[in-house]
Amino acid sequence: MAAPVYRKAILVSRKESPKGYMHLVIREEQIAQTAGPGQFVMVRGWHTGDPILPRPFDIVLADPLKGIFRLCIKVEGKGTRFLSTLKKGSGLYVTGPLGKSITEFDSAGTALLVRGAGAAAVVFLAETLAKLKKPVYTVLSASTKSRLVCRSLLEQFSTDVFIATDDGTEGYSGNGTDLLDKLIEEGKVDTVYTCGAHRFARHVKALDLAGKVRGYLFLEGNMGCGMGDCHGCAVKKEGKDGYALVCMDGPVFRSRDVVVE
Amino acid sequence: MAGAGIEDPGQQVDLSVDIAGVRFPNPVMPASGTYEVDEIHDNFFSPSELGAVINKTIFLHPRPGNPPPRIWETPCGMLNAIGIPCDGAEAFIRDRLPILRRLGPPVVVSIAGETMDEWIELSELIESTGMADLLELNLSCPNLSEGIPWSTEEKTLERVVSTVVGRVKLPVVAKLSPVVTDIADMARTAEASGAAALSMINTYKGMAIDIKKKRPALGNITGGLSGPAIRPLAVWAVYSAYETVKIPIIGMGGVDGPTAAIEFLLAGASAVAVGMYNFIDPFAMKRTIEGIRTYLAEEGYSSVREIIGLGHG
Ligand SMILES: Cc1cc2nc3c(=O)[nH]c(=O)nc-3n(C[C@H](O)[C@H](O)[C@H](O)COP(=O)(O)OP(=O)(O)OC[C@H]3O[C@@H](n4cnc5c(N)ncnc54)[C@H](O)[C@@H]3O)c2cc1C
Ligand SMILES: Cc1cc2nc3c(=O)[nH]c(=O)nc-3n(C[C@H](O)[C@H](O)[C@H](O)COP(=O)(O)O)c2cc1C
Repeated sequence: MAAPVYRKAILVSRKESPKGYMHLVIREEQIAQTAGPGQFVMVRGWHTGDPILPRPFDIVLADPLKGIFRLCIKVEGKGTRFLSTLKKGSGLYVTGPLGKSITEFDSAGTALLVRGAGAAAVVFLAETLAKLKKPVYTVLSASTKSRLVCRSLLEQFSTDVFIATDDGTEGYSGNGTDLLDKLIEEGKVDTVYTCGAHRFARHVKALDLAGKVRGYLFLEGNMGCGMGDCHGCAVKKEGKDGYALVCMDGPVFRSRDVVVE
Repeated sequence: MAGAGIEDPGQQVDLSVDIAGVRFPNPVMPASGTYEVDEIHDNFFSPSELGAVINKTIFLHPRPGNPPPRIWETPCGMLNAIGIPCDGAEAFIRDRLPILRRLGPPVVVSIAGETMDEWIELSELIESTGMADLLELNLSCPNLSEGIPWSTEEKTLERVVSTVVGRVKLPVVAKLSPVVTDIADMARTAEASGAAALSMINTYKGMAIDIKKKRPALGNITGGLSGPAIRPLAVWAVYSAYETVKIPIIGMGGVDGPTAAIEFLLAGASAVAVGMYNFIDPFAMKRTIEGIRTYLAEEGYSSVREIIGLGHG
């Protein structure tokens, strides 16, 4: 795995889509050239003391030829609000690529079960699977149609995209897990990655434990450094007295290996 | 940056300092628990460029650490309640210590005991490896369920330091908690108990409440505050201890670059440690070393030792 770099990078473009989510395209050649699916960057756009820590974001896509990569940021608190107001051409500090890249692509069929900002985490994986001509089915869910995240990217790379909305404004009216279960019943998928909702994680873990799929979770955790220094982003290991670190051991974990709240 | 053939006056400056008879090639080191020596970090800059290296505090036996959330951002700082997870002394001595030893700079080994017997056993164990230059006693972690930090009560501090000093030949560094009535008193007690140097300060105990969850933000409820937020408190702690003791002080608390580091040196620290800022800027320590060199050259000093304690007039 390529060692991460810490660089001042340039914001090449920004676009809000849907409302409350900012897509940032950043120029940093080494990160763009070495990043893999599942990896993230730590980003800091400030010299202030408040916010002070860098923020972790998944690499949505990387273009090694153009030397750029993309993030999709849900605007939540101080740091993400700050990042969402940066103008094109601004400098920002990035460390990455961090975390373990996904390297196993031997499944016969992969499902991606995502919601909200969780959708950003799996786009790179969908692209990688598409390049390998592996079937990938995305179950994209949101509260309502206008809150679907990374939709066009996921449609571009997936064999099929299934939409679930809580209010029924588009696609299936109900829980995305129902659509996943159907895909499994039809024998289309043997591997599932999920991100963005605790109930998805619990569901995938139950399927994994039942031997129905190989389940993987993209986990989050309050992270100070992203590279193993601070030991902040701990997740409890299943069946053992101890913790794994999201930044070093993840961010993608086999669901049966970690405790899900 | 020096051009070809032009001499960089900064290169003439002597950055080395003496901590309890151990020569640090420069006065900048990581604070315990905030910097790992591994391939990732080696790619930023080589830890062999540091004034000294130190491990995250180890205990004798493995510990899981505290439940998450373990960190929480605060204005100009952060709270942490990591709880010192560790694989235990045996694994540390086998897997980590030899790596630190091979780097070149002096090796400070940070240890903590849950009981008096553990302090003794662990100190002797580290000394027996022959791979440590200084032994730092973390008497001050605020996040342990075992009770109050060892350095918040003079009698306890005296007992731990004097016992360890009586058992090992390694120079002992006492890392002090600032959560006391007067840290200069604790510094004096540590010195009188045989400490060869002081590390100050560890974090301040504090807490935050997550207003969405309406619960304490940290799994441990309380945590230790670090970062620039505590710097003036830390500078004062070092300044007041310097007036009280003769042993060298390693100053820390909110060092984010050369300006802050120089402040500590002027206050009386013989070396400085960078903690939280390693998370924000992986080059913080390298920047600090270079910035101190430039400052000294510009101010016309030939050795960093000339400015230690200079702030006292
Ligand atoms: C590996 C990883 C990948 C991520 N990828 C994405 C992504 O692609 N898109 C996206 O929108 N979000 C992502 N997140 C979550 C994102 O990092 C947080 O939403 C963000 O840090 C919140 O910052 P803030 O300034 O808005 O919030 P504040 O409340 O101001 O943050 C305060 C502190 O808490 C931390 N924090 C708050 N919420 C979270 C969280 N959910 N996870 C981790 N730390 C948090 C912050 O990093 C910061 O240190 C990811 C998190 C991790 C750990
Ligand atoms: C995440 C974190 C973990 C820490 N772990 C330790 C530790 O294991 N042992 C120790 O002596 N101090 C530990 N500290 C305290 C630091 O070494 C230092 O004393 C303190 O953070 C003040 O410096 P700073 O403001 O530069 O961070 C830790 C601090 C942080 C932020």
